[in-house]
Amino acid sequence: MAADVPRTIAELPTSAPRFVGRPVARVEDPMLLTGRAEFIDNLSLPRMLHCAILRSPHAHARVVAVDTAAAERLPGVVAVVTGEDAKRWTQPTPTVPPGWGAHCLASDKVRFVGEPVAAVAAVSRYVAEDALELIGVDYEPLPPVVDAAKALEPASPLVFDERGSNVMLQRVFTWGEVDAAFAAADHVFTERFRWHRLGANPLETFGVISQWDPVDGSLTCHGSFQSQFHMGLARAAVLGLPSHKVRMVSQPHGGSFGGKGGARGTDITALLSRKSGGRPVKWIEDRMEYLAGGASQAWDRHYEVSLAVRRDGTVTGLRVKLLDDLGATAEGWGAVSAAKPLAAFTGCYAIPAAQYDLTIVATNKLPGSPYRGMGPPPHNFVLEQMMDIAARELGLDPAEMRRRNYIPKDRFPYTIASGNEYDSGDYEAALETVLTMGDYTKLRAEQAEARKRGRWLGIGLVNTIEPGVFDWNAYAIVGQPGTGVPEGATVAIDLFGKIVVKVGFALEGQGQYTVVSQVLADYFGVDLGDVRVVPQDSLSAPPHFGPGGSRLGVAITGAVLGAADRLRQKLVAVAARLLQTTPDAVELMDGKLRIRGVPGAEMPLAQVSAVMLARSDLLPPDVDPNPEATYVWTAPGRTTADDQGRAKSYLTAANACHLVLVEVDVETGKVEILRYWIADDCGTRLNPATVEGMIQGGVAQGVGAALLEEYVYDDDGQLLTSTFMDYLLPSVYEVPMTEKKALCTPSPFTPLGAKGVGESAMHTTPAAIMCAINDALVPLGVRATAVPASPHRLWKLVQGARKA
Amino acid sequence: MPASRHITVTVNEQPYEAVVEPRTTLVDFLRGELGLTGTHVGCEHGVCGACTILWNGRAVRSCIMLAVQADGGTIMTVEGLGREGALHPIQQAFLEEHGLQCGFCTPGFLMSIYELLERSPDPSDEEIRDTLGGQICRCTGYQAIVAAVRSAAAKLRTGAGGYG
Repeated sequence: MAADVPRTIAELPTSAPRFVGRPVARVEDPMLLTGRAEFIDNLSLPRMLHCAILRSPHAHARVVAVDTAAAERLPGVVAVVTGEDAKRWTQPTPTVPPGWGAHCLASDKVRFVGEPVAAVAAVSRYVAEDALELIGVDYEPLPPVVDAAKALEPASPLVFDERGSNVMLQRVFTWGEVDAAFAAADHVFTERFRWHRLGANPLETFGVISQWDPVDGSLTCHGSFQSQFHMGLARAAVLGLPSHKVRMVSQPHGGSFGGKGGARGTDITALLSRKSGGRPVKWIEDRMEYLAGGASQAWDRHYEVSLAVRRDGTVTGLRVKLLDDLGATAEGWGAVSAAKPLAAFTGCYAIPAAQYDLTIVATNKLPGSPYRGMGPPPHNFVLEQMMDIAARELGLDPAEMRRRNYIPKDRFPYTIASGNEYDSGDYEAALETVLTMGDYTKLRAEQAEARKRGRWLGIGLVNTIEPGVFDWNAYAIVGQPGTGVPEGATVAIDLFGKIVVKVGFALEGQGQYTVVSQVLADYFGVDLGDVRVVPQDSLSAPPHFGPGGSRLGVAITGAVLGAADRLRQKLVAVAARLLQTTPDAVELMDGKLRIRGVPGAEMPLAQVSAVMLARSDLLPPDVDPNPEATYVWTAPGRTTADDQGRAKSYLTAANACHLVLVEVDVETGKVEILRYWIADDCGTRLNPATVEGMIQGGVAQGVGAALLEEYVYDDDGQLLTSTFMDYLLPSVYEVPMTEKKALCTPSPFTPLGAKGVGESAMHTTPAAIMCAINDALVPLGVRATAVPASPHRLWKLVQGARKA
Repeated sequence: MPASRHITVTVNEQPYEAVVEPRTTLVDFLRGELGLTGTHVGCEHGVCGACTILWNGRAVRSCIMLAVQADGGTIMTVEGLGREGALHPIQQAFLEEHGLQCGFCTPGFLMSIYELLERSPDPSDEEIRDTLGGQICRCTGYQAIVAAVRSAAAKLRTGAGGYG
């Protein structure tokens, strides 16, 4: 059955929308506010055991022997597993690019500090941790490689001996006449940048309860899975099970931001459950495990960037050379993260030619994982620094430099050099809005005045694209094939006209159950509380993927609207029979089925659904008596990538312009954010309050990225930032209270015109703060090129300039 | 391992007696023994504040306190806020101001704010920042939480929701 998905709010079958587009309170919140959400660690199953994991203290070592006898004898211990069990019962984890994976428990050698070596299932976590102390591991330390550049040298230790090299992937993508653009340029500006490792750190770490059925040969896992379906498929491959024998149940989870991970923990608990005869085994990652061995680290990058610019400020070419240090394996989709910048390589600008010289290298550090934005935030940082460098050299204001390079608003949909198509946008409008909000001219005057008084103020002005609605098609070039990421929903109306929606994802924090409720309440003319969203496990839900890549708000809206339309068609057929007319004369409007143009010829939704469920004798013979429909939405019009990686990949291109005022204390190197303004355009805002929350949360993570957060390894590959005392998350003291304005350029391609905005300010804030810091440092003649701009780093930079 | 100890505590006005190992953390006792799973564990080293509860009226981190240390004390957790059919004004303010996203850190925030507003019904910006500065939220960027604190304070001062 075909389905018609409305492209605008006005197309909904309601004369006055009450919920969509309004800042309604979230339906999720009462449960969360009263501590009743069933986060994974709140769940217990009968006869459940608790797992603790023994981890490598070495960055690189051969595992000579593992002695578990004493641990197995400890009262309360039920099962112990080691690398030998993993080798016997599992395959190495699938990776992108392929062939750079390891077993869930190290067998022959360990490749990073924190890599699991053995695990125990016992009657309590306390006993399981006692047992870890009784396991003896005989290591033969090997020289580690910790530095990305050194890992490229022929004499480097090899992370995977059998590969003969540490290079996981090397490719040069060329789009347009790059060499000619640089040859003809009036100016070429080049700079090197360093983005240090940071990562997601949701407040809840990963957790899982795995239960192996030894008779059926099947596995059920409850866990804080961001994408239960995807996790289930990979587990089937790793554990050697048919796909339908793995059932994943995603519990509500305390944030993810891409950093939930948990593949190894899920496999390890599955093995422990198998070895303990099928008892459920729970593992809750603790914070130190997360920081050292979880899905906690991303984007360890070395950049060299060149910009070809004409005298008038027009940018004609962009070259980005990236050495991406992915750590010990490719199990965390690191190559996807390195390739995602293709979706918005040239940002908001009409740059006709570009080149991406990409090398991904393995080192003896924790494997890189996804993090909010999935790769573009560092790319945006380097691109926007280059725009400011060019502006400064040409004597242009940063605002004017950007104005001269924007993709004009009348050229959408617009295909960028790297192949993706932007759906819509008005970048200059966002710029002018934010300049007005911050009174830019006055701000520059204040800055000059402050400088006379010895205060170092800096202004950052940055605009970025947020590629929204992730699709696999962009990633075949780095070893992750596929096109079309499904999101399904089943919508049912019960005997009393209440609506139940089945979906394949759990609560994660973005308020999608509220969006589903808003859309369906307006569609069927009911109250918000008349809609209930019920998550289903990976075998029960319609095809699904869940949150990721700024997609779910758009995708689930498409799914429920498609299902609603199919359901409407069924209801119309029944109502036509009951109203003694033909289906084409009947419409759904404001919660009633009615004959068009005949006042009073109508019946409420519940009457029609009740007839379908209770009076099949009244139904037309060809009508399905089930007032329920399913629809699976995928992004339309996606294409296969060409040999240079060009494809229509991400469906939407939200944009934002940030203006920030900072002060650098040159005596201490500390940066304070004084004011912050945001103009953000993500098309139709389904729930404006939720969007504002996404933006402000993205600002906070952006502040962490720019100023605070960094995983530090020493030369031996030991992690020096293994607690929150050392890895600094932004608090209320560091995060600015921002002033925000919404612009709206609806997407012509999506349900209701919405664009993906879940990653939001994480794309923009790090670049904006770094631009502001460099603006403050101009008189000193130095440039901060490393993120985070920690006090120590900035202080050294300033001191160096003063000595010179 | 040292012998287990007998303790008595009052949690959310309900008395409990229990035998615990001395090494059992207070949060593990509340969650594991008493089934009060509304208090969450975020870091287990006293930085993030997700596990904050009230112990004898003071906001404390239950992950770095042992259950035996709480012996004889009075405890309040998120389960003690609000009542059937009505959120506590602080919870209501969080709902209205969108002061939460994933909600994992929220119970700790609620308890810290409860203590603040008991002590200071009309808190200054500095007092609000001082209280929230001890709690980490990874989702919201704090702006809506600050708004929720102000709103909750106003609700409590005016007795809105019957909680005055």
